[in-house]
Amino acid sequence: MMRYAGQALRSLLALPTLAWMLLFFLIPLGLVVVYSFATISLVTYNISFGWTLSNYRQIHDPLYFNTLTRSIFLSISATLGCLLLGFPLAYFISRQPSRWQKLLLVLVIVPFWTSFIVRTYAIVNLIDNGGPLQHFLHALHVLSGPLNILYTPKGIALGIVYSYLPLMVLPIYVSLERIDYNLVDAANDLGANPRRTFRRVTLPLAMPGVVVGCIIVGIPALGEYVIPEILGGGKTLMLGNVITDQFLSVGDYPFGSAIAVALMVVMALALIVFRLAQRRAAPS
Amino acid sequence: MNDLPHRPLSPAGTMRRRELLARAAQMGIALPALSALGAACGSSSSSSSPPSSSGPPKGTAVLLNYQGWMGKHTVADFETAYPGAGIKQASLGSISSGAVVPQIKANMSTYDAALGDQAVTGQGVAADIIQPLDWSKIPNIKNVDEKFRSAYTHGIPTDYGKTGIGYRTDLVSDPINSWADLWNLAPKYSGKIVFTDLDRDCIGSALRYKGYSVNTTNQDELNQALQALIEIKPHLQALKSYNIGQGLAQGSYAIAMDWDYDIALAQQDNPHIKWVLPSEGASAYLEGFFAVKDTPQIEVLEAFFNFFLEPKQYADFVNTTGTAFVSNAATPYIDKTIAQNPALIVDPATLANVEFENYLGEATAAYNKLWDQFKSA
Repeated sequence: MMRYAGQALRSLLALPTLAWMLLFFLIPLGLVVVYSFATISLVTYNISFGWTLSNYRQIHDPLYFNTLTRSIFLSISATLGCLLLGFPLAYFISRQPSRWQKLLLVLVIVPFWTSFIVRTYAIVNLIDNGGPLQHFLHALHVLSGPLNILYTPKGIALGIVYSYLPLMVLPIYVSLERIDYNLVDAANDLGANPRRTFRRVTLPLAMPGVVVGCIIVGIPALGEYVIPEILGGGKTLMLGNVITDQFLSVGDYPFGSAIAVALMVVMALALIVFRLAQRRAAPS
Repeated sequence: MNDLPHRPLSPAGTMRRRELLARAAQMGIALPALSALGAACGSSSSSSSPPSSSGPPKGTAVLLNYQGWMGKHTVADFETAYPGAGIKQASLGSISSGAVVPQIKANMSTYDAALGDQAVTGQGVAADIIQPLDWSKIPNIKNVDEKFRSAYTHGIPTDYGKTGIGYRTDLVSDPINSWADLWNLAPKYSGKIVFTDLDRDCIGSALRYKGYSVNTTNQDELNQALQALIEIKPHLQALKSYNIGQGLAQGSYAIAMDWDYDIALAQQDNPHIKWVLPSEGASAYLEGFFAVKDTPQIEVLEAFFNFFLEPKQYADFVNTTGTAFVSNAATPYIDKTIAQNPALIVDPATLANVEFENYLGEATAAYNKLWDQFKSA
């Protein structure tokens, strides 16, 4: 009896969160789905709810399909960028003494103490022609002319990498930090060189963190709106911008909802793929 | 669609509007001592007295407005002059005005009034969201110049503006007098040109460059405008909706498609900036406040609209925002840096060379698509 009472109490504890999720996630999500099948008159703004697929058919327009492709490509590029920078950093941190690890982890998350918008604007000055990055590259003799990154797709990718890097570093660090380095020593003792040890021991054991990092970077990056707006100079159309325009400029809620639902489907598919990859990567 | 040319309300845009206010204050162009007007304002002239046919209006009206697009003291002075009446301002988190009508339509009981240009009021009429005003309760409408009054009939006109060219005479050696000059010089100044990030302005300017109306619904003419925009896009540094004049003043670029009031503000930071009203003509907006259909606060709104158009109150609005103004009656109270700025002066020659952006009806969709095609190119 007491056990059941305890279980009931524990369920009650979850009630506020469940109510919150229902009110502010599931119901709005359902509304978006319902709107995506509706039609709107852009003259009277009267909405007719029904089950038309016309909004989804519009997405097949090469204009929007190319935008979806561009968003996916940019998201993958930025995720790979985060991975290439984040893995070595996470590995470096995980190999430091415990007290240094804590300090370095704080440094990794320090950017989150500043507003996302402010950070993104800070990048504008950093990567602008004549900015600190250009001077740095000139000093290294890597570059001689103007940087020409700001207001280009490269600038958007760089901004996403900068903003999302901590989200890649932290899960990879957690995976690396849990590795029993006796396994690495064993591989070395058995004659594996450092590269082989990394490829056959360290990397597979870190894969769960890599997969999680790729998910939490790649998925939000796909629908990113602010960074393309600020660092893309309004010249690169991303799917997040199209959705925003449909809601805040055009007033075509059904079409905006259809794109949002399509984007969610793409994200869900990506999650399934990652999940399968994670299962395969999980050490037996 | 139906974007207004200067409405930065994205997160960054909000900064722009705030910055504009801050700069206006720093430059000392705000009308001094307006706070001292206080209650006296309400009775400073016979025309501004509350209507006598009914009691003083009571209640609070919600005005959908651009953030900061109001005189520094206007609302406080109104509430002092009309105890029991109030104005609460709300804003959309968007740079574009295209969402004003759908937002109101979806929330008819939320808003009592809104700011909108002719395109928005045209859209509002089609969507049946506009409440006619009792003009006998707004006698100060006489302070608005006839040409604006007759062009904006669904509410009180508040301001107008043109989309033209601003450029740095110290950075650009060639004279620019037209859209054609800008397009022709684009390769030479590649990467040093900025356009506004609003569809009607960009498309309208390209249409004028090609010799067409900014309100055309002819698909062939729209296609030519699209090709012109795609042609110049590789030379554009960015499409911007805020800080355009500031970037010009700082030298981040040399040439900009921009709004008159923004260039006028930037000229105070850098005297090398020249304003050009292109010889082919320019698109323009005329906007104002209108009441939402069946609003229970119509009496408060009519009193507020009348109060807003008092010369001193209207001057507060102009001095705060730096906009081109629609009431010559307020000129004596408007700061000379605004009233005498060539970019902002309203004269017949200037007005003859601008075309106001109108509501496009069904053709709105074609402009939306064209804009996405340009951005995606």
